Amino acid sequence: MIEIKNFTFTYRESAEPVVQDINLTIPAGSFVGITGAAGSGKSTLTYAMNGIIPHCYPGDFYGSVMVDGLDTCETGLTDLSQIVGSVCQDIDSQIVTSIVEDEMLYGLENFGVSHREISARVDEALADMGIADLRDRVIASLSGGQKQKLAIASILALKPKVLVLDEPTAELDPASSLQVFQLLARYARDHGTTVVVVEQKIALLSQFADMLVIVDNGRIRFADTPANVLAHSEELLEIGVNCPRSTTLMNRLAFDGIYNGPVCRNVEDACDALIEVLGHSAADNQMASLTEDEVIA
Amino acid sequence: MTIEFRDVHASYDATIPILRGVDFTVNDGEFVAFVGTNGAGKSTTMRLVNGLLKPDAGEVLIDGIPTTQLKTSELARRVGFLFQNPDSQICCNTVRDELLFGFRALKMDMDHAERRVDEIVAEFGFNPDDDPFLLNRGTRQLLALASIVVLETPVIVLDEPTTGLDFRECVKVLGLIRRLHEQGTTVVMVCHDMEVVADFAERVIVMHDGLVVDQGPTFEVLRNRRTLEAANLVPPQIVDISLGLSIMQPGLADTLIGSANTLNEMEAAVASAVGKGDHVTARPTYAPTAPGAEDAAGIVAPATTPAMFEGGAR
Amino acid sequence: MNGFLEYVPGTSLLHRMNPVAKLLFAVLFAITCFCTGNLVFLCAMLVFALALAASCGMMKQTFGLMKAVFVFSLILAILLIFTTPTGDRLIDLPWGYIGTGSILAAVTTIVRLEAAAIPLFLTFYVTKMSDLSNSVVKVLHVPYKYAFTFSSTVHFIPVFMNDMKGIMEAQTARGVEFDVGGIVNKIRLMVPLCVPLLVSSVRKTNSAAIAAEVRGFNLRTRDSGYKQYPFAAFDVAAMVLAVLLLAAAICITVFL
Repeated sequence: MIEIKNFTFTYRESAEPVVQDINLTIPAGSFVGITGAAGSGKSTLTYAMNGIIPHCYPGDFYGSVMVDGLDTCETGLTDLSQIVGSVCQDIDSQIVTSIVEDEMLYGLENFGVSHREISARVDEALADMGIADLRDRVIASLSGGQKQKLAIASILALKPKVLVLDEPTAELDPASSLQVFQLLARYARDHGTTVVVVEQKIALLSQFADMLVIVDNGRIRFADTPANVLAHSEELLEIGVNCPRSTTLMNRLAFDGIYNGPVCRNVEDACDALIEVLGHSAADNQMASLTEDEVIA
Repeated sequence: MTIEFRDVHASYDATIPILRGVDFTVNDGEFVAFVGTNGAGKSTTMRLVNGLLKPDAGEVLIDGIPTTQLKTSELARRVGFLFQNPDSQICCNTVRDELLFGFRALKMDMDHAERRVDEIVAEFGFNPDDDPFLLNRGTRQLLALASIVVLETPVIVLDEPTTGLDFRECVKVLGLIRRLHEQGTTVVMVCHDMEVVADFAERVIVMHDGLVVDQGPTFEVLRNRRTLEAANLVPPQIVDISLGLSIMQPGLADTLIGSANTLNEMEAAVASAVGKGDHVTARPTYAPTAPGAEDAAGIVAPATTPAMFEGGAR
Repeated sequence: MNGFLEYVPGTSLLHRMNPVAKLLFAVLFAITCFCTGNLVFLCAMLVFALALAASCGMMKQTFGLMKAVFVFSLILAILLIFTTPTGDRLIDLPWGYIGTGSILAAVTTIVRLEAAAIPLFLTFYVTKMSDLSNSVVKVLHVPYKYAFTFSSTVHFIPVFMNDMKGIMEAQTARGVEFDVGGIVNKIRLMVPLCVPLLVSSVRKTNSAAIAAEVRGFNLRTRDSGYKQYPFAAFDVAAMVLAVLLLAAAICITVFL
């Protein structure tokens, strides 16, 4: 769905390229998590995918970025934005109207969604984000978390083929963050939406993403399944990316020679793995004591 | 310096109550974390501590004095407040001016101020002539923190100090906060990241729907899954694993695994359960902190306390 | 906690009226106020305006507005007192005198401005900004670009006010005493804080433009709007009333 080839970009006001030699293929319907240290070029990567680069930020653009078969350099931003829905980092500036319902309607109206369908789409997206009760509220009176949910809902309602979200859960508490990720995963699964999300909360990424992309200093260091990426916990830490603790625990136990199963991505994985480790050892001990008894006998 | 809330009710426009009778005490020199979902009333509580909001009913006492009886400047001398967004705080053209800002506002001795600023600049590794608006987000957050720290207030309040920061920046900010705490500063922090709470706080106060629903020593609270669930929270991962294993195999509840709270404790507990305990603790790689973390912090933690930040699962 | 020109939800007749009708009515109402100098008529207009405000439960906001308009019109009124020497001579001035006419002119100005302002502001309180801009585009065929510029300017007012509040709180926490020493001191302390506000607002308006574009700003046509804004009987009646009031004002001025 998205194909980035030899992409290098330098903002006009800076001398150094912010991303370099990016090669990345994102298949349709996949859930991709991008993470990395601050200033590593994660946001720039999302701008390349939704066409904001090169259309809004000037600079030197090398290589090519194809979205749904369209070259982002040759396709206008308006056409691109009908394929790619974006949720940007600064929520206040993404919101263009004053009332929740109008914010939901804005994109739907512009993209010419049939008026018969609009109402159902608004209802669905608001319900999905759990903010149906806010429909008539003045946006200025909402909390940061509520605004963030609204910004996501207003893009979900457009049902784009690709969703690009830059830190969509920054203002949300753990429960709401989890809810957002579950929902994104559901859109990827049920609607075949390609989801690309930049996020610092690595525990959520490793649990939900099919592919984890680690950006370091403008280059892609890893682009693989979360399990394969998380196996490199030491290297990740060096470039300022931290693994979930359940992963770190099991990686350490693997290093200690206690555990030799697959990389654990979350608490459930770790619990199952540990039960197995402890079960085995219990069985081993039993065997050991049994043989001792036999010897005594 | 102590902070005491006595049956505090508060609201923003008198129609929608935000706090509905909050009671707690933060003792002198403690490090207390407030946890809860969005809208539970944590930020409102913090605003009451530094007097930006006055209670509708009940009392907020700083060192025994109600905040209603303290002037803005008197409160500012007692309580330093780090806001979530550093952009609302930073307003000067150079890092140096930004650090001096509080001293000027409080009309304090400027010779002393200059000395303090020099110390802080060295400690944080700032360039005093940098333009704050050209720094990146993490550095701005550090600068905002520094401009509070420089005033040496006995209490520091932090409203989600890690939001928007990457792991390294997070380690750096929290490393500094830990040091302040070790030097005797009372620290009150609102934080969504349970791993950070588990690593740093001495005591945890759980808020839900405008009330304090649980409070106590960090792991006593964090292991209390039922109250956490009622407040829509999840324990930190290692505690979660420990509790999970105790349910899956009830026999484990009374073992070291059933009471392990940290990465190190859990690793050691599992190792000893499988009979490899000695083997593991002797291993040199068994460092509590990942090698990159301390370098990233750019500060050397005091030798007496190992850098405990095990790396948050954020 | 409602800000300046911020929509207050409600279900009153005025809330439900066609946005264009409301706007036209308010404009005609204001023009009417400026067409006549008849104090009795203006007082009647003011009472009518207040009745409108009461009908949609907007008295609190209206009194706030009246206070602001009063301060402004008072300045004009004082100027008028000193510069329009008409009527019976009351106090002598080096360049003329203050007469009963001067005072009448001053009072008239105050009443006129108050009466003219209320329905205009009321329109914003009882109409969602987007309804207003959409209906202006649909019914009056105003180009969308202009309507959007206006509505997003108004939309950003509370955002910036909120930013300013955050900045002031952050400085208060560092010991800046906005609450001591009156308005002059407050303004003196606030000026340096405008720098961060400007920085953030420039950044916000830039990204807002991008955000609007990626949600199809350029595709929007007059027919895009989902909501329809038909004129109901009541809207027509309101238009007729407004025209009648205007005619009455003109008649009074011409024939009395």
